Amino acid sequence: MNQAVLSKLKAIVGENHILTEFEDRYCYSFDSTFINSMPDLVIQPGSRDEIAAICRIAYANDIPVVTRGAATGLSGGAVPVKGGIVIETTRLNKVLEVNTSNFYAIVEPGTITQDYLAAVDKAGLFYPPDPASSKMSTIGGNIAECAGGPHGVKYGITRDYVLGLEVVLPDGSIVQTGNLIDGDMSGPDWTMLYCGSEGTLGVITKIMLKLTHKPQAKQTMMATFSAIEDAATTVSTMMASGVIPTTLEIMDNMTIRAVENFLNIGLPIEAGAILLIEVDGDPQAVEKHVQHVLKVCNDCNASSVKVAKTAQEADGLWKARRSVSPACGKLNPTKISEDATVPRSRIPEMVSAVQAIAKKYNLKMVIFGHAGDGNLHPNILSNKHDKEEMARVEKAVEELFQVALKLGGTLSGEHGIGYLKAPFLVWETGEEGFKFGKDVKQAVDPKSLMNPGKMFDYHDDKAV
Amino acid sequence: MNEHGHEEWKQQLVKCIRCGTCRSVCPVFKEENNENTTARGKVQLLEGVLEGAVKLTPTLQERFNKCLLCKACVKGCPSGVRTDTLFLSARLTNANKNSLPLAKRLAFKGLTFRKLFDTGLRIGSVMQNVVMKKSDDGRGNQARFNIPGSGLDLRRIIPPLAAKPLRDIVPEKTTVTNPKGRAVFFPGCMLNYIYPEAGKAVVNILKRNNWDVTIPTDLSCCGTPAFTSGDQATGRELAAANLKALAGDYDVVITACASCGAALKNEYGEILQNESDHNAWQKLSKKVLDISEFVVKYGDPALFGALPMKVTYHDACHLVRGMDVSKQPRQVFATVPELDFRNMKDADVCCGAGGTFSMAYYNLSRRINDHKLDNAEATGASCLVTGCSACRMHITDGLSQRNSNMRVMHTAEIIDMAYQNGEKQKKGGKQV
Ligand SMILES: Cc1cc2nc3c(=O)[nH]c(=O)nc-3n(C[C@H](O)[C@H](O)[C@H](O)COP(=O)(O)OP(=O)(O)OC[C@H]3O[C@@H](n4cnc5c(N)ncnc54)[C@H](O)[C@@H]3O)c2cc1C
Ligand code: SF4
Ligand code: SF4
Repeated sequence: MNQAVLSKLKAIVGENHILTEFEDRYCYSFDSTFINSMPDLVIQPGSRDEIAAICRIAYANDIPVVTRGAATGLSGGAVPVKGGIVIETTRLNKVLEVNTSNFYAIVEPGTITQDYLAAVDKAGLFYPPDPASSKMSTIGGNIAECAGGPHGVKYGITRDYVLGLEVVLPDGSIVQTGNLIDGDMSGPDWTMLYCGSEGTLGVITKIMLKLTHKPQAKQTMMATFSAIEDAATTVSTMMASGVIPTTLEIMDNMTIRAVENFLNIGLPIEAGAILLIEVDGDPQAVEKHVQHVLKVCNDCNASSVKVAKTAQEADGLWKARRSVSPACGKLNPTKISEDATVPRSRIPEMVSAVQAIAKKYNLKMVIFGHAGDGNLHPNILSNKHDKEEMARVEKAVEELFQVALKLGGTLSGEHGIGYLKAPFLVWETGEEGFKFGKDVKQAVDPKSLMNPGKMFDYHDDKAV
Repeated sequence: MNEHGHEEWKQQLVKCIRCGTCRSVCPVFKEENNENTTARGKVQLLEGVLEGAVKLTPTLQERFNKCLLCKACVKGCPSGVRTDTLFLSARLTNANKNSLPLAKRLAFKGLTFRKLFDTGLRIGSVMQNVVMKKSDDGRGNQARFNIPGSGLDLRRIIPPLAAKPLRDIVPEKTTVTNPKGRAVFFPGCMLNYIYPEAGKAVVNILKRNNWDVTIPTDLSCCGTPAFTSGDQATGRELAAANLKALAGDYDVVITACASCGAALKNEYGEILQNESDHNAWQKLSKKVLDISEFVVKYGDPALFGALPMKVTYHDACHLVRGMDVSKQPRQVFATVPELDFRNMKDADVCCGAGGTFSMAYYNLSRRINDHKLDNAEATGASCLVTGCSACRMHITDGLSQRNSNMRVMHTAEIIDMAYQNGEKQKKGGKQV
């Protein structure tokens, strides 16, 4: 990087908050995917105004800017595939306000999701989107990826809670979208433009979020099925029947075996699938919901349904779900986590399709995910050092995308498009939709400096 | 794992799924907010080394030194990446390439000459006043001037060397009539030279439970300071010497220092290479017990007298994650009559000492320590108990810096006091 530019940047944030050493930049060359690409510089600004000043300089000098939260993204969003400056937001980490009379919170983007959730909880309120990565991810990253989680079935995903944002645009100007009252604004809903924008349209510097009441009671259940198809039918039947659980998570046989092997908690290893189901609400409603869930499961051939009697038992059931990642990691080192998602009614078809693809390419594929959202999280367990197998993985992933789209689904339920799924985006949008996306990007970021090479800015040049 | 075990590196590295869970547990990262301090960052750097993209530069060496080796990342890693052995091995590889600073190299070499080391520290105990002065609160010493290569911050308060080391206070062999068993006690450097009172408490505990105790004269430093800095040759030499000194007809090997215990029980297995040493270690490893484990397993709870104190407990990294000891001291505290035990928040988070870490990064280690002290003080306890002398030293320094009057004691000292009170109660005397 040009010395004059570097000293200007140093003047903005101070020497201590710029990383130039090779070894340090190397640590910013990846996220939770398996791709790497080096940034030229890493900057850790301490305020919105510093971010705006950095963007102005980058804009004047045509330097790419990649915003980064905790780099737990699963589509390569925070990887600087075209080099440039990485802006790390984690020094902007304050929960500015939790308003208990008007049910909103104002947070800085680099706040760790869990810290924010704890602040809301302490104030006696509830913010439902709970990605499994909440201990590490930033709330800014959650907005930029439109993160979802196990609560999504009933409560929706991040998008459903964003009232407004403050954004630094590519040229360094600052805009505010939405408002604290109802998130509505005069004109189109710019806020929604930035949900899932993956750093391609500007840097989010302040976030206004809607809050809700804590549920009074909840009940956790585990249903066991000898055939995964029955579990899949249970999900689509349940969702169509009107009682919406807060959580509806599926685990297939291979997942069950892996988790049991890891935890030894007496999971049914012969089962084709299990469903983890949670309902919440006021105590009477919960009781009614439980009865309903039991009925649907039994109608769909569940071999047994266990209702947790104590909070501890509920925790035990959740523990199985939470241990899926590590348990699968023990089977095969590289886990390629897809989140192609289909309408809930098509889940049974998607399950069969995933199984067929695994067989066709001779791959270990597990299914465990937010089935209630139609998000089956097919994960391919592989080894990135095995080139031949990785080639098969690539083919299988493409086929997964095709199937999901054919069933009326999407490439990504929650992990975003980023770099890894960019080549396939046009399959989902169609040529015209893709052009529209490109035009919007062009209008906001005419120089293509914000997270270049991602999403609608993808050019067919696999750089990494 | 040793330097050339690149195959072993590979096996560990491939397991890292870059999930970043280690970001949520690393005490250094929490202060520095910098990916170059996380386990993930370091694991990827090592991957880069194997691929040839990252060179073994002094900068890289520095990044690996800025780690507490607290094992929080090992425990938190969902994929089971053994970052502890990886990072040790990386330090070794780096040290071989870039060599250690001269002062460190000489100091570690000195550890292998047991007699010389012993004499040096004895002279040190007399001569220390030349370079050190008593701190204002009388808790310890501060450097009078910057001692080159010592890594001693002028503000830092370290305990003085004891006037008499443990070995001069207790005999090599303590025998009882009709012993229940034979224990060999490995006091380690800190209990021997700095906190002999805690060492004495260990001997008292064993004696009171009617066990024979031996402290062999030819024990050396356990080697942790050397092999954690990448000087594995010295570490190996010390390990072999200790194995020899501890070989004997003993039922248990008692430690009361987290690092010595973890070294004897686990880490020797990773640095010892020749087969006979390795076999000897395997035999020894099974017998290693932290003193709190001993008390839970073999101690007689009826011996405890009332100990009306408010205490809290800090889990030393090498005890909780190195030896899997965290229930035992709490079990003991729960058994002592009238002892008011209050668990602190994040009791098992590193106190920031991290061996040589606190010398190289004193300010950072102080910030990490401050969280520990805040949590300890929030319990309202008047005494913080821990099973590790290095933690004790660092925590005591921190308390002095903030003028707190909380005391710091070794687990063994609390147990010994409860026993003493038990005896006095029996005789109808006054409690301590
Ligand atoms: C173990 C694990 C479990 C996961 N579970 C879930 C899950 O249950 N649900 C789910 O949805 N996701 C999940 N994820 C994916 C990931 O955690 C989420 O996408 C998360 O929202 C990313 O947050 P981050 O702070 O790490 O963002 P990063 O990875 O740093 O960035 C992601 C994208 O957002 C952009 N960005 C970040 N901050 C800003 C900002 N302030 N302004 C503009 N753009 C910004 C970046 O440029 C990048 O494109 C999981 C990941 C892991 C590793
Ligand atoms: S927690 Fe383990 S697998 Fe995850 S990034 Fe850290 S070292 Fe890698
Ligand atoms: S050992 Fe401790 S300090 Fe070092 S990387 Fe792991 S968690 Fe961080």
